Amino acid sequence: MQDLTKIVDMVTKCNWLLLILVAMVSVMITATSFYLGVVAGGLIVAVNFHLLKRTIQKDIRPEKVMEKGRSLTGRVLIKYYIRFVASGLLIFLLISNHVVHPLGLLTGLSVVVASVFLVTVLVVTRLYFKEAV
Amino acid sequence: MEFLVGSVWAAGLAIGIAAFGCGIGQGLGLNGAMSGISRNPEAAGKIQVNMLIGLALIESLCIYALVVSLILMYAHPALQAATAAIGGH
Repeated sequence: MQDLTKIVDMVTKCNWLLLILVAMVSVMITATSFYLGVVAGGLIVAVNFHLLKRTIQKDIRPEKVMEKGRSLTGRVLIKYYIRFVASGLLIFLLISNHVVHPLGLLTGLSVVVASVFLVTVLVVTRLYFKEAV
Repeated sequence: MEFLVGSVWAAGLAIGIAAFGCGIGQGLGLNGAMSGISRNPEAAGKIQVNMLIGLALIESLCIYALVVSLILMYAHPALQAATAAIGGH
């Protein structure tokens, strides 16, 4: 349990670290619109992940699940759609006004997925070497 | 003109199908998590963590589809040429 909570903290930290790293690299080697895309996309998904984490930790607790049952599923999904519409609007404004480069935005939006994969590789590697010793 | 119509159709289908699939996926994931927690409340923490990561990955797929469909409609490389060819700005 302790380890699993640590994994979520690791993913959250890795999100911000990766965002800073990718933003710094894109500032150095790409155009302004690409850099803006990376930063905007990274911020959108990092905030989304944070809100998702808060929703799950707040709403999906044993006592609430026992009390409200499956109606909680609808509640979480409604919150998901609200978040999705908000981020969709933001992305729409950014792309339709040509504020950001679409590929930069896609790179920024991949920050959470990349950090989940990074943390998974890290944890599996640790587990493998722990077992080998 | 056909190019623009095709782009709009592709964008609509892309986000529609992606949202449909992601909605079903998230619903199934949440359903499984709820069942798991109600059967074994002590495992709630473990289930929460796995669900959080799973939902984040599913959600990012839908956001990718949204970006692709917006690119098709507003930032397609050939869009300006196609709009100019039909007399638009």
